[in-house]
Amino acid sequence: MGLFAPWFLAGLAGLALPFYLHLLKRQTRTPKAVSSLMLYESRTQSSTRHRRLRYFLLLSLRLLMLLLLILAFANPFINRNTASLASERLVLLVIDNSFSMRAGSRLADARDAAMSVLSGKGAARAQVAAFGSQLRLMTQPIEDQSALRAAVEAIQPGDGHGNFGELSRAVRAMAEAVHTPIELHLFSDMQRGDLAASFSDMALPANVNLVKHAVVSKAQPNWTVESVDAPGQVWGKDAKPVHVGAVIAGYGTPAAQRTVSLVVNGKTTAAKTVAVPANGRAAVDFPALEVPYGFSRCEIKIDAADGFPADDLRRFAVERSDPQKALLIHNYGDTRSPFYVGAALSAAAQSAFILESIVVNEAADRQPSNYAFMVLSDLNAVPSLLEHSLTEYVRSGGSILIAAGTSAGSRLQIPIFGAHIVETRDYSRVPDRYMAVGSSDSSYPAVARANGWTGVKFFYALAVDPGDARVIVRLGDQTPLLLEKRIGEGRVVLLTTGLDNLTNDFPLHPAFVPFIEQTARYLAGSERQGGARPVDAFLELRNAQERTQNVEVTDPEGKRPLTLGEAASAQSFQLTEAGYYQLRLANGRQDEVGVNPDPKESNLDVIPGDVLALWQGKGGQSSREAATPGAAAHKTPETLWWYVMLLVFVSAVAESALASGYLGTQREEG
Amino acid sequence: MLQRFLQPSVLGAISSLELVAKTVVDGFVAGLHRSPDFGFSQEFAEYRAYVPGDDLRYVDWNVYARTERMYLKRYLGETNSLLTILLDASNSMQFGSHSVNKMDYARYLAASLFYLAIHGQRDAAGLITFDDEIRNYIRPSTRQGQLHRLLAGLEQAEARARTDFSKPMRYFQELLSRRGIVLIVSDFWESPESIVRTIEPLRFRGNEVVLFHVLDPEDVVPRLNGPSILVDMETRQQLEVTPDYTKNEYREKVAAHLADLRDRTRAAGMGYYLLMTDRPLDEALREYLTLRGGRN
Repeated sequence: MGLFAPWFLAGLAGLALPFYLHLLKRQTRTPKAVSSLMLYESRTQSSTRHRRLRYFLLLSLRLLMLLLLILAFANPFINRNTASLASERLVLLVIDNSFSMRAGSRLADARDAAMSVLSGKGAARAQVAAFGSQLRLMTQPIEDQSALRAAVEAIQPGDGHGNFGELSRAVRAMAEAVHTPIELHLFSDMQRGDLAASFSDMALPANVNLVKHAVVSKAQPNWTVESVDAPGQVWGKDAKPVHVGAVIAGYGTPAAQRTVSLVVNGKTTAAKTVAVPANGRAAVDFPALEVPYGFSRCEIKIDAADGFPADDLRRFAVERSDPQKALLIHNYGDTRSPFYVGAALSAAAQSAFILESIVVNEAADRQPSNYAFMVLSDLNAVPSLLEHSLTEYVRSGGSILIAAGTSAGSRLQIPIFGAHIVETRDYSRVPDRYMAVGSSDSSYPAVARANGWTGVKFFYALAVDPGDARVIVRLGDQTPLLLEKRIGEGRVVLLTTGLDNLTNDFPLHPAFVPFIEQTARYLAGSERQGGARPVDAFLELRNAQERTQNVEVTDPEGKRPLTLGEAASAQSFQLTEAGYYQLRLANGRQDEVGVNPDPKESNLDVIPGDVLALWQGKGGQSSREAATPGAAAHKTPETLWWYVMLLVFVSAVAESALASGYLGTQREEG
Repeated sequence: MLQRFLQPSVLGAISSLELVAKTVVDGFVAGLHRSPDFGFSQEFAEYRAYVPGDDLRYVDWNVYARTERMYLKRYLGETNSLLTILLDASNSMQFGSHSVNKMDYARYLAASLFYLAIHGQRDAAGLITFDDEIRNYIRPSTRQGQLHRLLAGLEQAEARARTDFSKPMRYFQELLSRRGIVLIVSDFWESPESIVRTIEPLRFRGNEVVLFHVLDPEDVVPRLNGPSILVDMETRQQLEVTPDYTKNEYREKVAAHLADLRDRTRAAGMGYYLLMTDRPLDEALREYLTLRGGRN
């Protein structure tokens, strides 16, 4: 027996307090004066003795309660022999059902091994769990053999990416709740890719005994389509040819010729033969992807002829639609902004947008919902009616790019965006006569492909208070240059300078075209549509917190995984299966994505034995335990905190009852 | 100092009442009180035939002129009363379970009565403080400044020693040579028989004797939180007592003691009033004066 926090024993000094109250204070009590003892008679011995006895009982209870409380803080524990707790141990059977377990008969072998462990577990409680990207408990801790076997049989192959770090984290959480020893049986292909980034992430608590059951012992050669580079959208009937690139990888494979096919809606439209080097990669390019209007389900397939056919294809979805209209509202006399923005959009590889430019007084009769996105350039005054309709447009899912320009400097705040204007910054007066970009968020699509806007000179900008907006680019003096705010279902991007070549030289810079193109795609939502996603990725369903229109998700099996409540309120959805998902988002747009397993699952290389032995730092002990499951003999500290606190509670109740009895007597006396 | 004893609330409560002496004592100055003797007064009583030796000053010469017979004209004599307060200043009077102890309460009571007697009735008033001896004596008088002398005497009356009525009694009789009202203020922690036997001679001399029995509430209902050691304030004797005893037997004994004292004093023709120190002083005085008035 020991104490987890022995320094709390210093609290034993507090035991002096009841002694003082009960003994010292009693003895120093002053006699009580009365006018005359003429009518008094001495009545002493019997009742006083009785009272002292009762007081000693109360004192004892108080001392006991304090002692137990101090002991509870010191957190006592006893070392219990795990072997002696064999009947109390929990046998946790974890079967790996990650994507790699689809190879060959791995999952079936794992289930068979689990069945044999179940047969030999004796009377111990057991629990069955499936382990893909996360641990999924299939049963409660039970002893019922038939229920456990049924749970093992019910485990189906998944598409997730296994991670032993995630498994260890889940087991650590379980071990905190379950105080009995856990005998963890892991049935897995022990894929090297399942190892956590750090070995410490895989550490298991002391009361968990890991028994590993590897269903394969050596690496298996495997070819796979590692990645596909294809657009999610194609615009117009006469769009430029779209390239589709793919990378074919071989893991532990000899050099070989592989046939790669492009399949569109189940029909092979192109095929190529590619030489894949030994244990290497080869790129394939299909120069023209022909897809009809609407969403098309596309695949890149290889004739791998290996033991893992499930990873021989990679899915992606492509949508062909007409170019979308975009509206640019500019100030009188501002002809530069429409020119530069229009030129940039038409210069982009994918002519996805048709830009329409109008001056501000013509905007009243335009319906914003007819446009994929809108651009407000250098507006000094926005009519309130137009501002209201644009705000509603954004709230319902529309997007706007606002270029503040020089005219907005006379306003107090940016319309629609709502940011307060602090001051105007005229950099033509600083020594360099311009200000360059100081920092930028390279993860933002509109900036990612523009090389951080290096070399662009800004002569004028508005200093605004960003508030809750996301600042993507800042100038060298920390003035926010590009900001984004989500309003309702829509987005508003604010450029605190202009889109002409007067306030900056950005339109003359090569970075301007990708900025405009990516911003347009981002605002129109095109970059989020179509294409491919990995398994376990989250798909954004709506922006706003408030409940708006219901979303609809159809999984690869044609089922609708969201409940009505989730469809009305869920903001994101996790893609758990490989295949094609159809979606109807909260902003009314349709979408379809191809979902593929993590490419790491295709590398069937196994974890070396010495690395496995290092897991949990037990080395050869683990292998011995595998031979005789449940016979571990190490000691496990078991805290007695709960029992001590229970005793504290009981003594407190007894003390209260006794003390209230005394108080009752005193009231009666009064 | 005056403000301490003569609280306006107390005086306001009793100034409307007349202190009517139960016993008519002879006096020097005509006043409101009827006297059993005939003397100088405006209230005619009777005519009496002159006998030799009568004072010729009382002969009604008008009647003699009409009837040629000598009659003495007699009036109802009116005089002041003489009030003497005997104040117990023993240690037990210091006991108090709240802000006012018995000694303070007795002082307030005596001061109120002095004020009323001197200012309201123009009576002569005197004070004797005693414990087991006579500690202070202020002769009854109506002289200027008497009230202040009496109040100073009350202020100087410090509680000490123990009560013993028998020893100073003989001095009482010497000092109280003239009949009047004698008020004895004490907690009377002695046997009722002894008290009455000691005080009775004052009554025999024609005084109206009233016992003001001043007690603290805890004298009657003591409160103990457990077995306690009690100390007698006069004798310093100690006794261990239990709450059970004070709750039952003691209360019965006190009740019997009070009833015995009341019965014996009334049987001896003396007045008896129990005053608890938690009762307002003015109420106690009003009650006393009302009762005194009712007895006329």
